Amino acid sequence: MISVRKVNNRPLNFLERIYLVEIARGLAVTARHFFANLLGRRSLTVPYPERRIPAAGNSASRTRHRLKARPDGSPRCVACFLCQTACPARCIAIEAAEYPGNPVEKYPASFSVDLSRCVMCGMCVEACPEDAIAMDTGELPGGAASRQELRLDKEDLLRRVPGETPARGAANRLAEGPGGER
Amino acid sequence: MPRLTIDGRPVEVKEGATILEAAGLLGITIPRFCHHPALPPAGSCRMCVVEIEGSPKLATSCSTPAAEGMKVSTSSPAVKAARRDVLEFLLLNHPLDCPICDQAGECSLQDYYMEHSCAKSRFPAELKEPRQKRRLIGPHLVLDNERCVLCTRCVRFCDEVTRTSELFVSGRSDASFIDIREGKALDNGYSLNLADICPVGALTSREFRFRQRAWFLEKTPVTCLGCATGCRAEAHHAGGEIYRMVPAPGAENAWLCDRGRLTYRPLRAGDRLKKGFIKNGYIDLEPAVREAAARLAGEPGAAVLGSPWLSVEDNAALAALARALGTGNYCFSFTAESGIKDGILVNKDPAPNTAGAAEAAPTGGLDLGELNRRIAAGEIKALITEARAAAFIKGRLPDGFKLIVFATNRSEIPAGAYATLPYASYFETPGTFVNYQGRRGVTGPVVPPPEGVPPLAETAAALAAALKGDGA
Repeated sequence: MISVRKVNNRPLNFLERIYLVEIARGLAVTARHFFANLLGRRSLTVPYPERRIPAAGNSASRTRHRLKARPDGSPRCVACFLCQTACPARCIAIEAAEYPGNPVEKYPASFSVDLSRCVMCGMCVEACPEDAIAMDTGELPGGAASRQELRLDKEDLLRRVPGETPARGAANRLAEGPGGER
Repeated sequence: MPRLTIDGRPVEVKEGATILEAAGLLGITIPRFCHHPALPPAGSCRMCVVEIEGSPKLATSCSTPAAEGMKVSTSSPAVKAARRDVLEFLLLNHPLDCPICDQAGECSLQDYYMEHSCAKSRFPAELKEPRQKRRLIGPHLVLDNERCVLCTRCVRFCDEVTRTSELFVSGRSDASFIDIREGKALDNGYSLNLADICPVGALTSREFRFRQRAWFLEKTPVTCLGCATGCRAEAHHAGGEIYRMVPAPGAENAWLCDRGRLTYRPLRAGDRLKKGFIKNGYIDLEPAVREAAARLAGEPGAAVLGSPWLSVEDNAALAALARALGTGNYCFSFTAESGIKDGILVNKDPAPNTAGAAEAAPTGGLDLGELNRRIAAGEIKALITEARAAAFIKGRLPDGFKLIVFATNRSEIPAGAYATLPYASYFETPGTFVNYQGRRGVTGPVVPPPEGVPPLAETAAALAAALKGDGA
């Protein structure tokens, strides 16, 4: 359902049209915040990026990527390249390798996300057939001193967030369970 | 010449042509797993069934010859239902491997499922029958029996094309699987073709395995330089790197030998020459060219030897260098026994351009015997050639003999070479090659050469220019 709100676009009156009064009102707002911040009473801004305002608790917004892990700590990612294929910003770079013994066979030898190119669209999460990549860390990327800091490698991405429970993906079933020892 | 109608459209075909081929003439693609145009029909996968008016049962179009007056339907409800059911049976125990399967993106099973079935599985994934996965069955191939659809293309290839019969179908009915004969390895010189003809990911190439996804690959037609046959091939590459070679679609060579498929390997080897190499150290190309020019100009008996591994253009550049040297000591005529060695593709002559090299110097020049005699007699003191052609020089090199070679990789440099100049391979620069039948094939460029490595003709021209500079 689309909600419709009617806006009453009344014409400006004389005082508004000469702008002087409105400019003074605007300056008053700016000055009030300036002095409030200066005197440290009710600060509205934080010295970003050293301090950050936490994201709303249960917000569904897309935040920094992470790679989910199996219970043994290995990445659930099987290096299928679907996220790299779906990525419109081409910020994901994967190199595949082969497990010698594990029946899942394929894993990412390297997996990097270049946050300086990422547009936070979430297509990688949509594309993943293994539910291995998520954008739910609650960390908002940005404010880095160098481009290199914005490049997340496999270890950065595998960092767990508190309260995460490991789960099983389709091909990962092979790694565990009765069919695992083959 | 039987005339028949397929989906209401009339078509006339040659005697003995199958319904599937007749439909192909009309542009109707009938789905198939076991049918391969270069292999005998098997009629085992039942994917290509069509309805023939007056026939009580659906017929396999890959093995039923077209007959006069036939009325065929390739999209009747019965045919569609049959395809859907065939796919359901094939997918019953098919593993959920697409994310890790190299065939994904060029898999017939994936494509046909999307086109002809799209049905949700009625069989729980937990009940899927496990089978042997990841079995190394030769130096080039991995077999995954879980993914196999038992089309037997691989078995027929080994029986009919290479006639080595390494593979067979073991077991009966739903317990059957592809197996390799006791004590044999799948190494018949053509084994990588099986990775191509396998419609699913059951047979995958160990060279290509996990290195790149099929949908990222770009395709460039090339001429195979593995031998004098000069097969038409296609190099698959992405991001400036070649990942595999396959026979070109529609080429007269339906196959490509393993050696030809791996001719791109020196490009990936770690010892690629990017600079000149003199005695035992690397040196920038420009001083290396000056040094080589000084050695050639300084010797009264300097010689140029062409190479059957170089393109027509590069041999011509070497002939121009011989003219700049003002020497009569040049050789571009090579004799090699040619002809198909194994009855399939591999030629007796391992060099790709024996016929083309002779074009560089149609008249004059020495033959190899005379060249060798003059080297042994000490009349020739310096010689420039290509690394593999240096093997034509027989016997020990006399003391003080300066052998200057062009090479792409360090491992190619022959023993006793004084100086080596790098050149861009024919995956990186275009070249014309004349095969043993006299057919001209143009190849490359597929990927860019390493930075600062020019084509051989360019370096040869620089050498000739440096020689003229010395003379003035």
